[in-house]
Amino acid sequence: MAEISSDNGRKFTIPIGPQHPALKEPGHFEFVVDGEVIQEASVKLGYAHRGIEKIVEDRNYTQAMYILERVCGICSHVHASALAMGAEQLAGVEAPPRARAIRTLVYELERIHSHLLWLGVAAHEAGFEALFMYSWRDRETIMDILEEISGSRVHYSVNAIGGVRIDISAESAQNILKAVDFLEERSKHYLNVVSSDRVFLQRSRGIGVMSPEEGNRWGVVGPVARASGIKRDVRVDAPYAAYDIFPVTMITASEGDLEARFTVRVRELLESTRLVREVVKNLPEGELTTKVKRKIPPAETVVRIEAPRGELMYYMKSNGTDQPERIHGRTPTIPNMASVLHLTIGHQLADAPMILAGIDPCFSCNDRAVVLKSQSHSDLWSWDQLRQYGIDRYHGRT
Amino acid sequence: MSKKSNIFQDAISSFVQGPVTENYPAEKRPIADRFRGELSWSPEGCSGCNLCAKECPAGAIEVITLDRKAKRFVVRFRVDRCAFCGQCQTSCRKGCIDLANDRWELASYDRSDFEKLYGHPDDIAEYLASLNQSEATDD
Repeated sequence: MAEISSDNGRKFTIPIGPQHPALKEPGHFEFVVDGEVIQEASVKLGYAHRGIEKIVEDRNYTQAMYILERVCGICSHVHASALAMGAEQLAGVEAPPRARAIRTLVYELERIHSHLLWLGVAAHEAGFEALFMYSWRDRETIMDILEEISGSRVHYSVNAIGGVRIDISAESAQNILKAVDFLEERSKHYLNVVSSDRVFLQRSRGIGVMSPEEGNRWGVVGPVARASGIKRDVRVDAPYAAYDIFPVTMITASEGDLEARFTVRVRELLESTRLVREVVKNLPEGELTTKVKRKIPPAETVVRIEAPRGELMYYMKSNGTDQPERIHGRTPTIPNMASVLHLTIGHQLADAPMILAGIDPCFSCNDRAVVLKSQSHSDLWSWDQLRQYGIDRYHGRT
Repeated sequence: MSKKSNIFQDAISSFVQGPVTENYPAEKRPIADRFRGELSWSPEGCSGCNLCAKECPAGAIEVITLDRKAKRFVVRFRVDRCAFCGQCQTSCRKGCIDLANDRWELASYDRSDFEKLYGHPDDIAEYLASLNQSEATDD
C-alpha cells in the first residue's frame, strides 16, 4: 500500500491485481481512497494478451475460425460465427436459412449460459454464495444441452464457413424445450430474488448509478447500456443471422444502478428462453451449408454481433488468398471498462468489486493490442523497429 | 410466509436428494453422442488429399505419403496438440476420421503416449523402418 499526502489529510492508493483473489482474470486497478471512499480510479489491462490477431493472419479462414473461437471461453460461438459471417460477406454468399436459425439458437443458448454464469459470479462478489451455487447448478442444464447438440460444453464448434456443422434432431429439440421450460421457471425465481432480497438490494440498489448521458459519453454497450435506458442492441438495430425472422424484444431499465443491471440480465434470460422456444419450434427446413470458395477475393467488411456482454465488432480484410489479410476485433468489455472507473468514484471500496462485476468483464477477450503512446515513438512500428525495441529493452532490463 | 416454506422445502429436498456430485471414476455420466474424443483414422478410402491436415487449427495431424498411386498413407496424430474441434472429421469426404465419444480420458505420464501412428500395420512398419534408416545415415 503506497501512501501519498494531500492537503485534506491522508489518502491511500490501493492496488488491486494483476494477481488478486477478487479477480478471476488479470487486470491492475488502482484506487485512491480517502478513508473508505474512492476518490480516483485507474486501470491497466493487457496481462492476458495472446496475439490472436497476429496468429490468424497466418492461418486459413477455417483454421482462423477455431482460433477466434478461443478468444473467449464463455461466448465462444459469437467469435467463431463472426468470422464465419465475415468470410461469407467477403465471398459474397449467404448461409442457408436453417444454418442461420441454428446459429441464432446457439447465440441464445450461449446467452443463457453466460448470463447464468455472470449471475453466479456477481452474487459471489456480493457474498451471496447460495445464489452463486444455485445459478451455476442451473447453468449445468444449458451446458448439457450445448454438449448434446454440439459435442462440447465450451467450444461448440458449430460454425463452418458458409453455414453450420450440426443439425438439431427432433430428440434434441424436445430436450432443449424441456431445459428452457425449467430455466424459465428458475429465471423467474432469480428475478424475484435479485429484486426483493433485502440484503442483496443493499449491495445493488443505488450503487454505481449511470445516467443515459454518461453511458453515451463513455460508449457503453450491451446490458450495461440497456440498464441505463439506452436503447442499444445489435439484434434489434441491425439484425443478423435469423434475428430478422425471430425478432427480439429489447429489455431496458431506467434506473441505471447495479440492481437494474441484474434485472435487465435476468429478464434477458426470460427473453432468450422465449426466443429459443420460438426458433426450435419454427426451425426452417433446408441445407446446412453453402459452398464457399477457399480463396476469397480482396475486400473489406465489418461484422457486428450482440455478444452476451454487448456489441462485438470484427473488421476483416481479405487479399485473394485462403488466408485473411487482417482481422481486428473489438470486444464489449473495452468500452464498458471506462464506465467502471467513473462509477466507482464516490463509492465505498467494498462496492468496487460489485461495480466491476456489474459490467461482466472478460479480460482475456479485451486484450487485443497494446498501443504505446510516447513522443519518441510513433504508434506504427516496422518489424525492424519492433525487433530493435525488444533488443534494447532486453539489454536495458534491471 | 411463502418464503419460509420455500426455504424448508429447499432444505428438505436437498437433505433427501443426496450429493449432486458424482463418484468419478467409479461412476461416470453418460457421454453425449456427438462428444468429440480422441481421433482415430482408418486407411480405407483415404485419397491423400491432405485436407484434414490443412484445416487443422492446431497442426495435430500429419499425413505421410508412402506411395500415392497405391494409396498407402500413414497418419501421425498428436493428441496433445488436438483442440477437439472436429474440423478434420467434417473436412474428410471419405469418412476416414472419427472422433469417438468413448475415448476422452487421455491423461498420461509419458509424453510418447500422445503421439499416435495410424495406418495398415505393414505401412506403419515400413514408415518406422525408413525413419530408423534415416537416423542411422544421419549418425
